[in-house]
Amino acid sequence: MRDPDVAPNVFASDAPAFYERARRFETGLSRAGLGLVPKLGRRASDALLARLLRLLAERHPRAFEALREMPDARVLIEPVDAPVALLMRVGHDLSLHALPRGVDGVDETGADAVVRGPYARLLDLLEGRIDGDALFFRRELSISGDTALILALRNTLDGEEEMDLVADAASIAGPLARALPVLRRNAGPVLDRIEAARRLLPPPLRRGIERVEARITGVLPGTRA
Amino acid sequence: MDNFELICPAGTPAALRAAVDAGADAVYLGFRDETNARNFPGLNFTRQDVADAVDYAHARRVEVYVAINTYPQAGNLGPWQKAVDDAARLKVDAVILADPGLLAYAAKRHPDLRLHLSVQASAANVEAIRLYRDAFGVRRVVLPRVLTVPEIAKLNAEIDIETEVFVFGGLCPMAEGRCSLSSYATGLSPNKQGVCSPANHVRYEQRGGALASTLGGFTINVFGEAEQAGYPTLCKGRFVAGDGVGEGPAYLFEEPTSLNAMDLLPELKAAGVRALKIEGRQRGKAYIAAVVRAYREALESFAAGRPVSHIDLQAMVEGGTQTTGAYTRGWR
Repeated sequence: MRDPDVAPNVFASDAPAFYERARRFETGLSRAGLGLVPKLGRRASDALLARLLRLLAERHPRAFEALREMPDARVLIEPVDAPVALLMRVGHDLSLHALPRGVDGVDETGADAVVRGPYARLLDLLEGRIDGDALFFRRELSISGDTALILALRNTLDGEEEMDLVADAASIAGPLARALPVLRRNAGPVLDRIEAARRLLPPPLRRGIERVEARITGVLPGTRA
Repeated sequence: MDNFELICPAGTPAALRAAVDAGADAVYLGFRDETNARNFPGLNFTRQDVADAVDYAHARRVEVYVAINTYPQAGNLGPWQKAVDDAARLKVDAVILADPGLLAYAAKRHPDLRLHLSVQASAANVEAIRLYRDAFGVRRVVLPRVLTVPEIAKLNAEIDIETEVFVFGGLCPMAEGRCSLSSYATGLSPNKQGVCSPANHVRYEQRGGALASTLGGFTINVFGEAEQAGYPTLCKGRFVAGDGVGEGPAYLFEEPTSLNAMDLLPELKAAGVRALKIEGRQRGKAYIAAVVRAYREALESFAAGRPVSHIDLQAMVEGGTQTTGAYTRGWR
């Protein structure tokens, strides 16, 4: 039987609202950052993503070892509300490439399986913050192609502890790595203060700020990431 | 009066830690092979993972059970017997078995190893349960999800071993041999290879706004644009009966829905149930944390005589619907 002295704190309240808003802001910023990757050009973006992959492999050796042990295959991870998708090659030659979204969507050629969903949901899924089956039931996530490949990828990443892809990605960007913990700590209260100040602004100015925010985060005014 | 034991699933070491930290009394898991009924890609535990899991759980006074609940075939007993030997060597608290031959092997080779009878064995009557107890020393039976609460109460009144029942997750009554549907469509058996609707036989297709799921080339369901989806299992597929004239496709066996028996804690306690089991070794650690935490909170309230608080688990359920299943005969 469980020892009552080490019973978990199961009555802890859910994440406070300001944390959720900070997370939304952070998600928007990281999505905007992802959108910049293909603008670097193929060679530079591939080099940047290769560096990110090496860093992730160092921080999450168990998961990345498992990804390298998988049969050679390519999974297209397509955030439907971001300007770019990621093509991940699993197997011995593990790699990551950014694919820009054209007017006809993303080129699926060469992908053995495709996972599609809103960027914030995909990020939550990759970090193990949300259950993939639940997303699938609610139709927020769609998959096509080799289902076994997607399942293996999902289970492998979900089996890893404490994935924090935003922090990992920030850590290869020098000053951002130092700024992120401070930003996270302060984002909620700061956003609360901004929100309070915003309510005092005249409507045209308020709408202008919303448009700027939308450009930064890639989220349309009135919608949620 | 003893409290219920809360038995929780883990498909990965991270999920095990999530279950332990969220309030499990015991966690059940499987080795990474065909010896357990959730043999899915990227899932399950190596021997070293189990050793680490036992260390982590035991340090927190949480038990570890290993499910070895598929059926070994003639001429290939090795993997199953080795799984039992390794589970005993790794000092797990119980093994969950279904096959009588394997139960006999475990009872003979490891007399101190606690044996639980898997739901896969479908033991649903007094005589069957007594046989497993007398022949192999089984200490607990996991009851199939086909019994009502009054039937469970009647059963418990006549047996002297512990019973465990499912309270949350997939409704998977295997007593009627429906797993054969998956074997027919794919050539791979849930009961022998541990793969129900094996993922490499599953495909999803967008058909306009609809989502079609196929298994082994058979279309088994088409979900409308705004409709919640379910697992790609044949027992939860929609089919046209008879000559196909008149009625549209319908769920002939099961509907995509999840069991949630949180409302029945008083009845299950009165029925003499010892342990409550959450299903979902194939689910992510976020599911494990949310469901285990909700049930731990409900059990704490129940044990303290307070009203059972209701934490919303709607987001976690298949098809967007919940049921008390056979316990109240409510799902039909």
